[in-house]
Amino acid sequence: MPLSLEDIKLLEKQFLADLKESSLLGEFDELYLKYFSKNHGTITKLMKLVPELSAEEKRKVAAELNKVSEKIKAQIETAREQATLESIGDPMIDLSYLLPPQKTGMMHPTETVIRELDKFFRYYGFSVVDGQEIEEAEFNFRKLNLPEGHPATDLQDTLFISEPDILMRTHTSSIESRVLTQYDPPIRAVASGKVYRNETASQTNTPFFHHYQGFVVDKGITIQHLKGTLTELHKFLFGDDVVLRFRYKYYPEVSPGMGTDMLCKFCKGAGCSVCKGRGWIESLGSGMIHYNTLKACGIDPDVYTGYAFGLGLDRLVMQKFGLDDIRKFYGGGIVFR
Amino acid sequence: MKIPIEWLKEYVQTDKSPKEIADSFTALGLLLDKPIYEYKNDGYETSVLDLEHRMDRSDWLSIIGCARDFAAFENSELKLPSQTRTECRKQGNDTKVEIKVECPDLVNRFYTRVFTDLKVGPSPIWLKNRLEAYGIPSINNVVDITNYVMVETGQPMHAQDIDKMEKPEIIIRRARQGESVVTLLGETVKLDESAFVLTQNDKPTVIGGIVGGAGTGVDEATTKIVLDAGNYNQTNIRKTSRKLKIQNETVLRYDKYLHPELAKIAIERASQLILELAGGTCFDNEDWYENPLGYKQLDFTYSRLEKVSGMLIHLDKIDSILSKLGYKVIEKTNEGLKLEIPYYRTDIEVEDDIIADVLRINNYANIPTAIVPFTPPSEITPAIYIFEEKLRDILVNLGLHGFITDPLVKTDDRKDSQVLLENALSSEKGAMRTSLFETLEPVILEYKKHKQDSVKLYELGRVYNTSSVGSRNYSDYSEIRKVCGVFWEKDKTPYEISKITKEILSGLLFNLGITSYSVENKNLLINGNEAGVIKYNGFELNTESLIANQALPTRILTSYDSESEKDFTFNIPVSKEFGEILEQIKNSSNSINRVEIIGEYRKSNEEKAITVRVYYTGEIDSKEIQNIG
Repeated sequence: MPLSLEDIKLLEKQFLADLKESSLLGEFDELYLKYFSKNHGTITKLMKLVPELSAEEKRKVAAELNKVSEKIKAQIETAREQATLESIGDPMIDLSYLLPPQKTGMMHPTETVIRELDKFFRYYGFSVVDGQEIEEAEFNFRKLNLPEGHPATDLQDTLFISEPDILMRTHTSSIESRVLTQYDPPIRAVASGKVYRNETASQTNTPFFHHYQGFVVDKGITIQHLKGTLTELHKFLFGDDVVLRFRYKYYPEVSPGMGTDMLCKFCKGAGCSVCKGRGWIESLGSGMIHYNTLKACGIDPDVYTGYAFGLGLDRLVMQKFGLDDIRKFYGGGIVFR
Repeated sequence: MKIPIEWLKEYVQTDKSPKEIADSFTALGLLLDKPIYEYKNDGYETSVLDLEHRMDRSDWLSIIGCARDFAAFENSELKLPSQTRTECRKQGNDTKVEIKVECPDLVNRFYTRVFTDLKVGPSPIWLKNRLEAYGIPSINNVVDITNYVMVETGQPMHAQDIDKMEKPEIIIRRARQGESVVTLLGETVKLDESAFVLTQNDKPTVIGGIVGGAGTGVDEATTKIVLDAGNYNQTNIRKTSRKLKIQNETVLRYDKYLHPELAKIAIERASQLILELAGGTCFDNEDWYENPLGYKQLDFTYSRLEKVSGMLIHLDKIDSILSKLGYKVIEKTNEGLKLEIPYYRTDIEVEDDIIADVLRINNYANIPTAIVPFTPPSEITPAIYIFEEKLRDILVNLGLHGFITDPLVKTDDRKDSQVLLENALSSEKGAMRTSLFETLEPVILEYKKHKQDSVKLYELGRVYNTSSVGSRNYSDYSEIRKVCGVFWEKDKTPYEISKITKEILSGLLFNLGITSYSVENKNLLINGNEAGVIKYNGFELNTESLIANQALPTRILTSYDSESEKDFTFNIPVSKEFGEILEQIKNSSNSINRVEIIGEYRKSNEEKAITVRVYYTGEIDSKEIQNIG
């Protein structure tokens, strides 16, 4: 039987009944499929009959079918929206207050700061390396121009596992000497981790700190590059308005050595309790990697030069997270919520 | 190092304010350590700088050494006290003090002079003021002179009353076990063989290089003294003074590297002052100096300066800086200078140290700033480091908080792989942890104490092991990377907490794409290999095992309707472990894609019920599966 206007009227009637039922259930996907499914949809089937019509009927009937089809589609969408609106109107939905937060965990503050610093240095082409905490005196001291008998190698400061050769590393410079020994220049790397000192080992003190270290070895590296890197680093950590002071400072593993201070933000250099009256706050130590260090690590110091810097992370972490006692970060006294 | 500015001005003229002087010293390497303070006494007034001294420059423990750098920095003249040789009489038998060194490994030089007919009394006011402004109390003119010359030149000195000696001799030898000395401060110090002593008639009068004894001290009745300036083994003095817990101005200087030449300078200066302020007669006495130390020479090249600093500094400026610091030019070439290093600069080891001097006096503020312009070198970041970052992200997303705990733990004889620390200050912190549980689990107590209801913590850290306790062989020690999680929740039974542990552990493994795992005897096996341990309230896994087995997590579904699912419930005794049954179900058919635990109930104290959902493609034999239980 050819498709007629009568069929279309019946279709409309049937749809209205179906729509009513669907609205009660709040389920419109099935309704849509019933009429528009690719293979079994009622309207799809009717559409397939259109080619059998004469040209005149086509104009009349097919146009009507299209109109009704569009109307049905629109009615389904309107009903769907209506239903959603109604359910939102549920009197139990009170959006005037919030519930206790769903929480993610958080990294340890020290981990967070290390990650930020790593990101910063990776932008400048640094690799991130690390090393063993149980170290040999060779890499912790000797290669770093700290000969036996040097005050810094004293029993007083170092936690020994087997004196004098095996110890807990006292600084991350041991990673530097390892990497410089293992790899050929050019080298550009940062490293961080726990370092240990005997002087503070007691029940109440943490006997370890966190250091962050960077070093670069290449042809043509000068102290100007060190100054440039440190300037960018300070801006990253403390903001573009940080005021820096560079001065000579002795460290055995570098020469020339360089100390860096920041103008005290609180007193602007006048001297206050935060900066202990100095007007400046020491931020890190650095210098050109010592001639003897490069040599001891198998790098020709007459061809290559390099710089290194190191900073204690714990004070930085305390500053960033507003804590006055570092011990609290490592196992006691505070909780993260 | 403290510097009374009035004293400094004896050697260098300056109109700068104390604050400006302090800024100059800070730039030079002597950081102003404490606020500047004013010393006032009886019309005498001076500001005093307290500067931080690093361990290298022994000459910075003298006012002259500091003045020399300051004068170079300010481009001013340095005026040194006159170094004319004092008129000394040749030693006769009646005034001679015998000098003998029995431990030449500890003594480099021992320069002595004898003074007779002295008038010991109060010091003149200028001397008293300067010493007290520096921080050394005034005793009498002779003692004050030894202290004054020490602060001025950096060479510690010592005077003994000859009339208080039983024999006119100073024999330097190692102390004997149990020997003791009563110090000038009245303390009795017990010694052992590591220290050395100055003795007379075999009785110790002075702990060498550390502190004088009361027995031969100079007082108002003294008329005859033996004055000495020694140069000793610095390591011995540092170790002995720390062992004896004696820190003073003498030790402070002797544990640095002093050139023996300085002893002579100081003896001359002290002799002048003694004759001037205490009168009397000076006699030569022995200058024990077996192996005179020469002067070091180094080449300084302009190209190296440029290589290290990237700067071109005018040659005249370089010459002027170096000569003001006391370097002697031996030879001048187109490439640079052959230099004799001044004796007081015992810190100069390599050419770069001289470059440091040039840059320092030229002021570090004048060094330009540059960014490394070259292409970054090859990446050498270890994969494990990046993997640990990923672990942190997953654990944080699972709701865990990161913690870092102290790896030092109590020594425990029962643990035979514990790494022990030889010189720990207490046995409470005498060893390294062998498990992260040891240090992370106690943090739960902190959370309870602070009334937190839910604790989920992770730590990424290392555990330490040795295959041979006390081994001197580095390869016998190992550090293993671990990731640990611990859990606790208020009012929950261990059984309930174990569910949290299992959920989080499987969440971690899921996010790492690790699907082939099982638990046997509280050990987590990944692909059949041990990867860590699990307890009811936590787990500890080997990070290396995880990185080796990680895969891309299968979180992206590409087919939707081909998979079917069916639930099975197994009732088993509570004592039976379900893990084995689970493995059997998984392995029972190739059609099974995965099996998930969807419920676990304790039905009674004897029986538990576990419901699993089996996801499969095609057909499975339900009866066979149900029979596994």
